[in-house]
Amino acid sequence: MLSVAEAEQFLVAEARLLDERRFEEWEALFTEDGVYWVPMDPDRDPTDSVSIIYDDRKRLHERVYRLTKTPVLDQNPPSRTVRLVGNVEVEPGDGTGEQRVRCNQLIAEMRPGGPGQAGLNSPRWMAARCEYRLRKVDGRWRIAWKKVVLLDSDQAQYNLSFIP
Amino acid sequence: MAVTQRARTYGDLVVDDPREFRVHGSVYTDPQVFQEEMNRIFERTWVYAGHESELPAPGDYKTVLVGRQPLILARHEDGRIYALYNRCRHRGAVVCREERGHSNFFRCRYHNWVYANNGALIGMAQVSGYPEDLDRSRYGLVPAARLASYRGLLFVNLSPTGPSLEQHLEPVRKYVDHWFGRSPSERIQVILPPHRYEYPGNWKLQAENGFDGYHGNYVHLSWQRVLQLSKESTVESTVEEVQQYRQEGCVRRLRNGHGLLERPGSLNPASSWTARMMHRYPEYAEAMRKRFDDAHLMEISARRNIFVFPNLYLFDTHIRVIVPKAVDRTEVQLYVYALEDVPEAINRSRYRGHERFYGPAGFGAPDDIEVFTEVQTGLAATGDPWNLLHRGQHRERVVDGEVIGHTTDEAPQRSFYREWKRVMSQA
Repeated sequence: MLSVAEAEQFLVAEARLLDERRFEEWEALFTEDGVYWVPMDPDRDPTDSVSIIYDDRKRLHERVYRLTKTPVLDQNPPSRTVRLVGNVEVEPGDGTGEQRVRCNQLIAEMRPGGPGQAGLNSPRWMAARCEYRLRKVDGRWRIAWKKVVLLDSDQAQYNLSFIP
Repeated sequence: MAVTQRARTYGDLVVDDPREFRVHGSVYTDPQVFQEEMNRIFERTWVYAGHESELPAPGDYKTVLVGRQPLILARHEDGRIYALYNRCRHRGAVVCREERGHSNFFRCRYHNWVYANNGALIGMAQVSGYPEDLDRSRYGLVPAARLASYRGLLFVNLSPTGPSLEQHLEPVRKYVDHWFGRSPSERIQVILPPHRYEYPGNWKLQAENGFDGYHGNYVHLSWQRVLQLSKESTVESTVEEVQQYRQEGCVRRLRNGHGLLERPGSLNPASSWTARMMHRYPEYAEAMRKRFDDAHLMEISARRNIFVFPNLYLFDTHIRVIVPKAVDRTEVQLYVYALEDVPEAINRSRYRGHERFYGPAGFGAPDDIEVFTEVQTGLAATGDPWNLLHRGQHRERVVDGEVIGHTTDEAPQRSFYREWKRVMSQA
């Protein structure tokens, strides 16, 4: 079983990869069948409804490829982010070899630009409840499932292309 | 003085010059123009408010803004849908605060007046404070002047006068019919909740963009790279499809402010989504062929972004609703829908395809939103205050009574602004 301290270390390291825009390393944290889900309504089955993000590993790869290898408008200028990970909880193992972990995250995001530019220069704050299913692959914990429920997940959002 | 002068000249903000159609930047930036748009367009013409499948059962309701005004759409136990002003007749509080839900009545929380789902006043607290012969029928929630449905699409008009919904939709109706036709029963079911995004820019920037075929190669370059990466056909488009549509597609400038962008139909699975799905799912092909002949299928398989003036787009995956909040703030709602009576896998692939491009974290929509904010920022520079919408004006052609342009031409934008000018010039 994962200790709370170990889980926290893992989540903080993951947040650092995103904050430092090391997206390919972040992608590599996911298992081959990994899922990254940002719902609008966390109680709905994502298969038969629409989510803000519902990435299987292939779609996740496209997302990272788009951010790192293509001329994206919506991340040019790129977002700066600062993530705070807290309230880490580890659920008792259920015998499947997967470890459920919960945490809360505060994400501050800002894109810099010239004077008077709409949409730039003002920090935005997002709060999220996150759930993870972690699985040990070749001795390392990997993300089999990540769910990010934004406080305002059902409200109108501006650009979320930075990976919330 | 300046105010009265401005009030007379909204129509001059759109110059219908046969060689250089242009729009003054203040239509996107002037709060007074925005107020007049709310008065004359959103609170006096047909505005899309929802789809019947959002309110399947008696008691279901949703709240909407029509222009600046809060309304409730509610299905009563008589099975009908009512559009009611969300304002208690007593002291003006809203009687419903939720976005949507289910209730047998609407209760004002201030003094406990209670209304039925059709607006009828059915209860008043401490009623002895009113005369015994009080006529309650005078104090129901006020209904919108007009509510009308076209095949389940619900439109509200706060004005009792002017064209009927049928007259308003007439120029675009056959395209709306074809849009329903990808379901063999010609029915859709809205999947809740909608995608919602908001941007710091004017509502017309979204209206102008949904049928704009000029920006794709530039704004969505990264999307094209993603498509090249996976080299797969999707609900969205293959690279070949994109190329074909650039050559053979068109834009249509329709009357009453409507317009659309069109990728041609095809019965070849390599060239259209509908044909591809029919090829992949024999039961779908069978149902479609039973319902439609080949000529019909050609029309249905054309992929169109259909704009209905002033606030509605019909896309292949979603119903898009433009909600103006302020002159420089707009919310857009994307109601993804299921096609009824098609294999489950078709709809699921449509949802995944939609998420891939649209919504606040899709691979396409945030690029559009980024550009809207760039336009809104640039409009503050007024050295030359005019925006140009004359692309393709010299090569418009008339086919079957409709004005058609190259996919990259601004013909539908001109249709939009001609209607805008007409409505904004009215006394």
